[in-house]
Amino acid sequence: MSRLLALIGGGGDIGRGRVFWIAFGAVVLLFLLYPTQTSAFRVSNVSFYLLNIPLGLGMALLWGYCGVLSFGHVAYFGIAGYVYGIIAGNMPGDPLGPLAGVAGGLLASALVAGVFGYFVFYARVQKWIIPILTLVLTLLLETFLGQTAGYQWRVGSVLLGGYNGMTGIPWFQIGSLVFEGYSFYYLCVFMVLVCYLGLRMLVNSNFGQVIVAIREDELRTELLGYDIRARQWLVFVLSAMLAGLSGLLYVQWGNYITPSQVGLLQAALPVIWTAVGGTTSLLAVMISTFALNWLTYTLSAQGNQYAMVIIGALLVVTMLFFPRGIVVMLAERIGRLTSRRVSAAKS
Amino acid sequence: MPLVLSLLYQFGTSAAFFFLAALGLVIILGMMNIINLAHGELMMIGAYTATLTFHAGTPFWLSVILAFFVAAAFGAVLELLIVRRFYGRELGALVVTWGISLVLGQGTLLFFGPFLPSIKIPGGSFSYGDFSFSVYWLILIALSLLLILGLWLLYSRTSYGLQAKATMQNAEMARSLGVRTPRIYTLTFSLGAGLAGLSGALLAPTVTIAPFMGQQFVAPAFITVVVGGATNVIAGAVASSGLLAAVKTPVGMAFGAFSGTLALLFAALIIIRIMPNGISAALQKYLVRHGGGAMR
Repeated sequence: MSRLLALIGGGGDIGRGRVFWIAFGAVVLLFLLYPTQTSAFRVSNVSFYLLNIPLGLGMALLWGYCGVLSFGHVAYFGIAGYVYGIIAGNMPGDPLGPLAGVAGGLLASALVAGVFGYFVFYARVQKWIIPILTLVLTLLLETFLGQTAGYQWRVGSVLLGGYNGMTGIPWFQIGSLVFEGYSFYYLCVFMVLVCYLGLRMLVNSNFGQVIVAIREDELRTELLGYDIRARQWLVFVLSAMLAGLSGLLYVQWGNYITPSQVGLLQAALPVIWTAVGGTTSLLAVMISTFALNWLTYTLSAQGNQYAMVIIGALLVVTMLFFPRGIVVMLAERIGRLTSRRVSAAKS
Repeated sequence: MPLVLSLLYQFGTSAAFFFLAALGLVIILGMMNIINLAHGELMMIGAYTATLTFHAGTPFWLSVILAFFVAAAFGAVLELLIVRRFYGRELGALVVTWGISLVLGQGTLLFFGPFLPSIKIPGGSFSYGDFSFSVYWLILIALSLLLILGLWLLYSRTSYGLQAKATMQNAEMARSLGVRTPRIYTLTFSLGAGLAGLSGALLAPTVTIAPFMGQQFVAPAFITVVVGGATNVIAGAVASSGLLAAVKTPVGMAFGAFSGTLALLFAALIIIRIMPNGISAALQKYLVRHGGGAMR
């Protein structure tokens, strides 16, 4: 048990020590109590901000910890969402349908990422090629899904729907418990917690140390006897499955998905969340994903056309002036202030 | 005979399309090791300049030349303000140029609206046998060949070319020999941006003029660059344009445009699996091994 705690609290992420975990617990408690204080509409919005977090965490793991950048993780988001829609939609009324859909969706994103990852990692391509090919993959997926309008493009009884997308995707359910509204909100909170704590354990484990070593120096890590290709491939597939998890939650939240979810604009978002938060911290990316989703939603809900311009400019500003991420740099500043206060109190 | 000519024409148009789409990108990648994800938006700027000036009464060829200079000026500003800080940080440059592309695309949408009136394809067409040929595309094929020649001359016969190659091979040494490397970087980025604008203007009559028109060039341009590799970018781009056209033309004719593009991605994946550094690196290795000198 103490080893488990050491694994979660280890040095792989910012936010350590008793004060941090008390604050963390308080925030979780706030999220758990939030639905009792507000409207169902707001709870649904917050569910949306939360459900994007696994996608952001996957990007942080892949880019920040492993040093591999993907511009196409929304492709796995979309694949999982569409596959869930197809499987669950073809088993209406069957309580096992959504579970089968979840399994199928995760499997499909892992499979596509696995095949794609095999080609790029085992070819040992240069660093800049992977983001480009992932981007091309997601653009192709968008083009393909966009031309699936019409009755001939159906799987079983589910229409793919072209640019209008797939509609009427069933809620998630386990047995007779259907996740919608408040229960879906708690499902999101639970999944975010599981992903975050699980990934913290992963980055603090032996495997996580080797991943960071690969980011720092591929050749040296390889000469120490580690198979870097297999590890990069594994991290790639894992982060694709996290993207897939977000895709599953997304279709279970809104009951629809359109090809624009895998388009160029959407593809930019996870990269922006990760860069603005700070690539080398899971916690920072979790915070920035939540905050930026809130910002985008609030801006566009007010009819502000400049939402994407602001988000894009935010990325440029972050890269220019906060290369390690805005949240990470803020956290460091707070950390320095509090430690100064502690040492002042001691003396 | 007409069938063969028509196939050649199809091949030539798609090779020219790949080459033009990738042109500005490969210059910037090969010389500066920067992937410019705002490439599509620079092409869009070229196309917008050409369209706006053309509809204001400028002759088409003049507006194409104007597009080159507008995009080049834009590229110089981008380099001086932003890109300059990202030399040596490949992934950082990728991400920041993507941010620029988002701002440019959305900004154009807000400023100019969802589309501009298109330019009618100049030149008309003629037919031979049962097949019709567009004069404009034939001109584009010829222009692509001229551009290849021009770039080769620029990089092998001018002092800018010499200094640029020196900077690329060893920036520190070039600097100590008196080459002003920051200026070379600005010039090169500006040239790449200008060529992207030129391509955008040249392709403008063949596509819809819209803020996100750059997106349709993203996939072909980047696949061309990935397949070509960064060892010798011009030769790589020429070879991979030819190869990709040879993949896309038959598949596209048999199964439709989408399958053609899908085949491109698969071709690219297989080629980089065999030749991780692209065609140009493989070609270079072959030439060195078989007694020829290095290509660059």
